Amino acid sequence: MPGVSLRALTKRYGDTAAVERLSLDVRPGELVALLGPSGCGKTTTLRLVAGFLQPEAGEIWVGDRRLSAPGAVTPPERRRMAMIFQSYALWPHMTVAQNVGYGLRFQRALARAERAKRVAEMLRVVQLAGYEGRYPGELSGGQQQRVAVARALVVEPEILLLDEPLSNLDANLREEMRVEIRRLHEAFGITTLYVTHDQAEAMVISDRIAVIQGGRVAQVGTADELFDTPRSRFVAEFIGKTNLVDAVAVAPDTVERGGLRLRVGAAGLAPGARVTLSIRPHLIAPVAVTETGSNVLGGTVRRASFLGDAMDYEIEIAASDVVLRVTAPPAPRLRAGEAVRVRIEPDACLPLVDPGAAPSSEAT
Amino acid sequence: MAVPAVAPRRLEGLDRALPVWVAAALALVFLMGLPLGWLAWMSVSGESGFTFRHYEKVVADPALRRALWNTVVMAFWVGLASVAVGAPLAWLTARTDVPGRGLIRALVLASFVTPPFLGAFAWVMLAGPNAGLLNRLWRSATGAEAPLLNIFSMPGLIFVVTIYTFPYVYIMVANTLALIASDLEEAGAILGAGRLWVALTITLPMVLPALASGFILALLQALALFGSPAILALPAGFHTVTTQIWSLFQFPPKVEMAAAFSLPLFLATALLLAAQKRLLGRRGYAAVGGKGGARRVIALGRWRLPALAACLAVMACAIFLPYGILAKAAFSRAWAQPLTWSNLTLKNFTFTFFEYSATQAAIVNTLELGVLTATVGAGLVALLAYVTSRRLVIGHQVIAFFALAPVVIPGVVLAVALFIAYTRPPFLLYGTLWILFIAYLTKEMPVGYAQADATFRGIPTELEDAGRILGAGRFRVLRDVTAPLARSGIIAAWCFVFIGVIRELSASIILFTPSTKVMSVVLFDLKEEGQFGAIAVLGLVMLALTFATVALVQAVLGRDVLGARD
Repeated sequence: MPGVSLRALTKRYGDTAAVERLSLDVRPGELVALLGPSGCGKTTTLRLVAGFLQPEAGEIWVGDRRLSAPGAVTPPERRRMAMIFQSYALWPHMTVAQNVGYGLRFQRALARAERAKRVAEMLRVVQLAGYEGRYPGELSGGQQQRVAVARALVVEPEILLLDEPLSNLDANLREEMRVEIRRLHEAFGITTLYVTHDQAEAMVISDRIAVIQGGRVAQVGTADELFDTPRSRFVAEFIGKTNLVDAVAVAPDTVERGGLRLRVGAAGLAPGARVTLSIRPHLIAPVAVTETGSNVLGGTVRRASFLGDAMDYEIEIAASDVVLRVTAPPAPRLRAGEAVRVRIEPDACLPLVDPGAAPSSEAT
Repeated sequence: MAVPAVAPRRLEGLDRALPVWVAAALALVFLMGLPLGWLAWMSVSGESGFTFRHYEKVVADPALRRALWNTVVMAFWVGLASVAVGAPLAWLTARTDVPGRGLIRALVLASFVTPPFLGAFAWVMLAGPNAGLLNRLWRSATGAEAPLLNIFSMPGLIFVVTIYTFPYVYIMVANTLALIASDLEEAGAILGAGRLWVALTITLPMVLPALASGFILALLQALALFGSPAILALPAGFHTVTTQIWSLFQFPPKVEMAAAFSLPLFLATALLLAAQKRLLGRRGYAAVGGKGGARRVIALGRWRLPALAACLAVMACAIFLPYGILAKAAFSRAWAQPLTWSNLTLKNFTFTFFEYSATQAAIVNTLELGVLTATVGAGLVALLAYVTSRRLVIGHQVIAFFALAPVVIPGVVLAVALFIAYTRPPFLLYGTLWILFIAYLTKEMPVGYAQADATFRGIPTELEDAGRILGAGRFRVLRDVTAPLARSGIIAAWCFVFIGVIRELSASIILFTPSTKVMSVVLFDLKEEGQFGAIAVLGLVMLALTFATVALVQAVLGRDVLGARD
């Protein structure tokens, strides 16, 4: 079972680079999600890996085979990969069995009877036994999805590529299939690249997530790592909700913005340096109005929304222009206009290593 | 996702199949480039090299100037009249509860595929000033001496051309109306706009690009038409550009003059098509292209039957009367006499098929050319459309351009160009069926290409990608996935080319030789001899072939031809 190595891949369309010097290593048997907003280059990356596109620069290696380099591209049919498409791309003129069995036709070593056995076995795995003779048009969306999965897995590919495979399903089915895909990955252990724009999906399914921004990898890591220690503004905002506060360091472990003064967990800030803090809304705790001390801030509730299992507040911090989003238990309930105090533990204030450009708004 | 679907993917398909794509592309360029190059060269070459003498002569010749003016007048009025007839008809069938909508649509389709010159023949029998059926009825009813109608006149010509040209406007408008969801109109109504106000401020502006574009298409049809002017304008003593070019080919042929005179027609067509493209490319039309919501049917109330009567009146002019008189003429000894037992005969059939020497060969030639052109054409457009829709070679846009370019070449102009190109070494094809084959292939290429292109664009690339990644090479995927899915669309392209070939007159009339006559040319000969019975018989054969092919398309595509074209 080989891994995949992308080395400084670049793909341009005219003057704009869809993918720019993108590097990523996927370990054997690992499932890595390429996560990013639409237009970030993640699908282009996947199509480069599949061999549908030719890179202008950089190389793609699978194990010790170099599959893509400028001017030397192994065609898709000789890459020993399989792919699940956003549209499923099931062939409407072939039955379920013909769709699933198609890839086996090119494995010359397999006898016809063996192929049929493999197809039947795979259909059983995806719970579609008995549907062999149906046409894709006669199946529900979820069933079509399973056919697409079976068609990709039955050939026992070295690498599996998935391009937003769940985006056409409704919300319930999508959650079910997330778990299903993870289960199949654990059962088969195929090295997998999974493209998605849905961070929850990426967190459930993958071993590691590569956040893609502007054709480059912004950060790679497990879901925990990305959530707890985002390096940039972009990653902090893309993985979960966060408050971003632009401030100035006044001591190695303290920052200030107007009347707002916070101690941060990490020491070693250069006094006078600009610092961007990421503070997760659920790590900000409303406390009694009598509470004082460091990292306890006074403010006013600007908006209070009841979300069922939690409250979502916008709290304007006194003597500053900072508005913080706060997620708190439903009780005790604060009302809009009410005075409030919040405590933020120093460890919850994460200075971003590589903040990137400041967005127009203060908090997200 | 990351890349818009329209982003170019050139070069990605570079593989062993490349020579096939390149060969198809080169064949296309050769097909178009050689004749047009010769045409341009011939129009500026004199005995002593480069010259503008031919153009000067064209401009200076009052007869040619008159022909040009006649064409402008005719085309303009045909365009206007087509809009006046086609747009209301489209609205009635698309949006109202007028009875027999399906029938009306079918009749519009019939008018669309009727060879215009057959309609012109029929209208000669209906409204010729002396023997025309309607005029005789008029005289016997009123005792008047003068004819009611004279089809041999500019208004007569405009009328006959319009009744077979308005379907272009109908198609554009009906297909657009079908895309405008009623909720857009209801959004206006809910804000307090009356029904008429909604129609004027919302519906009309949305169909305006389609109307204008239909107008231009109708105008183009009229510009390029040879048969109807030849049948109706020549007896009336005036020329249009097409008949004038044709007459320049009569003995002694003035090929250089014809070439120089062809260019205005070519340029006008190119400019008009460019204008049409711009119109359709505008923002307003794109907004229409969304998902069609529910469409509410407008109740006409007491206007239902008058509306139906109006539709049927149009159809009487285009279909009932002409087809009726053709059928009558086919089965009677004298077409002008009343239909009695003594006047009934099958003699016209025996005469046409067995006694008139040219018919059998012409039918065989037409069918041979029809099948050959349609088969080669469908194969070629399938290859070309596949290459362009999948962006397999650099310069695929150029291929698409060349495949669609013949649209701007009127049949007569194309014929002049082919005549020049293939009457000299290295390609001596004049006098053989091959020159007709090339003419037809070139002329019908755009229709077939548009159909094939739409077919391949309807097949998501992902279906092919899915095959590739599982281990199938490009040809294998083409065979296993693309071909089965494209089959019905390509059969339809075959049919469109076939229909185009069996009715082709304007190029054939210049390129035929006595041994290479086709049905339309024989029809034209029969007219010179006044053999209307035989014209009717051969006309009916042509119509039968056409409608059989149309029925085949409908069966294959599961929808009618009108929706398939744009």
